[in-house]
Amino acid sequence: MAESLVRVESVSHTFPAPEGGKEVLALDAIDMEIRQGEMVAFIGPSGCGKSTLLNVIGGMIAPTSGAALVSGQAVRGPLPKQIAYIFQESALLPWATVLDNIKVGLEFQGVPKDERGPIASAALKSVGLEAFAASYPHQLSGGMKQRVALARALSLRTDILLMDEPFAALDEQTRMIFGEDLSRLLASERKTIILVTHSLAEAVLLADRIFVFTSRPGRIKAVLTIDEPHPRTPDFMTSQRFSELRNELYELLRDEVLAAIGNDRQGLS
Amino acid sequence: MSGAAAGVSGGVTERLSRRGRRLSLLTKLAVFAALMVLWHLLTVTEIISPFFLPQPMAVMTVFWRILSTGRALPDLGVTFFEFAVAGPIAVLTGVVAGYLISMTRYSTVVLEPVISSLYAIPIIIFYPISVMALGIGPESKIAHGALFGFFPICLNTIQGFSGVDAIYLRMARSTGATKAQLLRRILIPAAAPTILGGVRLGLMLCFLAIIGGETIASLEGLGHRIVWYAEGMQMVNMFAYMVFVILIATAMNACLSLLELRRRGG
Amino acid sequence: MSLQSSRLPHPMVTRIAVIIGLLILWEIFGRMGTSLFFSPFSKVVMSGHEIFYEPEVRRALLTTSGVLALAFILSLALGLVLGLSIAMSKFTYQTFMPVLLLLYAIPQITILPLFVLYFGNGPASKIAFGVSHGMFPVAVSVIAGVQGIKPILLTSAASMGATRAQIFRRITLPYLVPSLFTGMRLASTAALLGVLLAELYASAGGVGHFTRRFSETFQPDKLYALIGALAIMAIVINESMRRLEKRFSKWR
Repeated sequence: MAESLVRVESVSHTFPAPEGGKEVLALDAIDMEIRQGEMVAFIGPSGCGKSTLLNVIGGMIAPTSGAALVSGQAVRGPLPKQIAYIFQESALLPWATVLDNIKVGLEFQGVPKDERGPIASAALKSVGLEAFAASYPHQLSGGMKQRVALARALSLRTDILLMDEPFAALDEQTRMIFGEDLSRLLASERKTIILVTHSLAEAVLLADRIFVFTSRPGRIKAVLTIDEPHPRTPDFMTSQRFSELRNELYELLRDEVLAAIGNDRQGLS
Repeated sequence: MSGAAAGVSGGVTERLSRRGRRLSLLTKLAVFAALMVLWHLLTVTEIISPFFLPQPMAVMTVFWRILSTGRALPDLGVTFFEFAVAGPIAVLTGVVAGYLISMTRYSTVVLEPVISSLYAIPIIIFYPISVMALGIGPESKIAHGALFGFFPICLNTIQGFSGVDAIYLRMARSTGATKAQLLRRILIPAAAPTILGGVRLGLMLCFLAIIGGETIASLEGLGHRIVWYAEGMQMVNMFAYMVFVILIATAMNACLSLLELRRRGG
Repeated sequence: MSLQSSRLPHPMVTRIAVIIGLLILWEIFGRMGTSLFFSPFSKVVMSGHEIFYEPEVRRALLTTSGVLALAFILSLALGLVLGLSIAMSKFTYQTFMPVLLLLYAIPQITILPLFVLYFGNGPASKIAFGVSHGMFPVAVSVIAGVQGIKPILLTSAASMGATRAQIFRRITLPYLVPSLFTGMRLASTAALLGVLLAELYASAGGVGHFTRRFSETFQPDKLYALIGALAIMAIVINESMRRLEKRFSKWR
């Protein structure tokens, strides 16, 4: 548990100016360490750079300065053997069946052909969707699609799982059920997970540590530790402690969200 | 933020695309200029015989003479007369038929597929009938042009009227709008952009069908003049007239698009 | 716009009734006058039966079908290559798309005489003119298809370690299939138009030539029969293409 698996060393990132405007500083000298088997959440107002940082760690964006390190190696591009992604919207191929969608990920990752089938089926079973192996994505609900995406990410057998607002497109009830499922699965898998989210409840329900980001330029304002064993149950969500933690997080975020709205106003005028 | 993640190392692609846009305007002009230069060189050096491809300078000279001497006026007059009759017929019949069909959902469901199937037929095959029945003069071109223009206008009118969002109709009915008010205040403004799109396409097709009719069987008109020069192997004149017709068609399309855009904005 | 009442017959029934009604009107009008240019429906059907046993007409139909098939296949191949090379990168897209649209916007009928001068009045000019009509819709559909790929699918594939070749085979190509069928449908009608235009303008063989001949010799029944056959052919091609397109774009 003490080993640090992901290290972020003074990462800054600026986006090029949109037509006629000035450059946008999205991340300002971020440092952090994430230990093996830890579940962390990034939370902050829109545009604070939390997704950018996730993509820097995942090797999808090269930062302007600084570096992300995974297992001590600087990240220079996607690391499909070590990092799996779950995206905000469905990234399933619409013309492929659920099972084929999982298999294609294994193909991209370089798993030999005859091993893909069993791994994919097992992953599908772990999210309870084995009955839908031959269905197409458009036949599934939003929550089921994200569960397939989760199964695909799990099938890749990576140490690290990056989740970019995986609940964003789901309705409230589905979110909560998906959250509980996730908590249970992850407790058994012992993966290192980074979750980007807007939702206070999700962050408190799932994370061991919560990084609260300031509004643009993104810096880390506070780190909140949630000292509660996994899997976390609905009982935890209705507990006094849950509300206290949620309120504490809300207080931390409130000023930043207001500041972000102020930023946008300035940008508009 | 998900936009930034779209490209692997998004920053690089974004910067490239901005440079690409500026570059592409230059390359567009460069490609055009290069083609002209190539055309010029190939013909001046007679690598390609001027019987096949005339020199661009010669074409421009004749083109200018056509414009300055009014030599094309008789043919232009015939073609425009045909268009001036056929165009309004296509618009009027297309819009009225489209409106009548779209009046009930049932008639729309029954008749719309029939019209769109007919639209799949290359209308040009009916041209021999026009020529047989109406002769080789302007009448056959008018009939042919009007028929060609009718379909897109009618189909877009149906689509425009039947595609009006039901919520507007409910709103109008709930506030007690009369039939006339419904038509004037809701249906026409909501359907206008789609109908105008159809009118633009229909008028363009009408014009091109007239040129086509003149090309296949005629004694006068711009399309006929191109054929006349082609048969006489007068390549320079033929090219000059081709440029002339293409410019007219392009200008017409630009005017109609402008009209469509202005209506859409207002 | 008013609600459909359940007492009305199925739309298909009414549709067929409308078509039969029109044919009856045609028959009545055809029998009323003694026009040189009009012929009742029954007579057209009868002579339709006759002319398709004439070896000349049969040969013409075969020629036209062969030319059309060749023009269609060439349109598809050229359009696909053209479309993929333009859609290959942002740079090629921004540079060559405007050129493609410029060429596509040229009213091709004006340059038909040029095709005949270059390719002669045999099948070559018909094929070339058919291809010049058919290849642009294929190219434009293919380009639109590539542009329409959701960026998240590419990002996600990259995160899982897909190579360029894998992305092309697993994402770009399957994504293109429905657009390709749209392009094929448009190309089939456009190529037919091009071929018939060339045949009507200056061809020694083919169906277009025969319609011209029947028209010039005032044989309305034969003319209508031949045109009717062409019309049915066009509708059948379009309809089957539309079915195929629908079948292959289920997931959209």
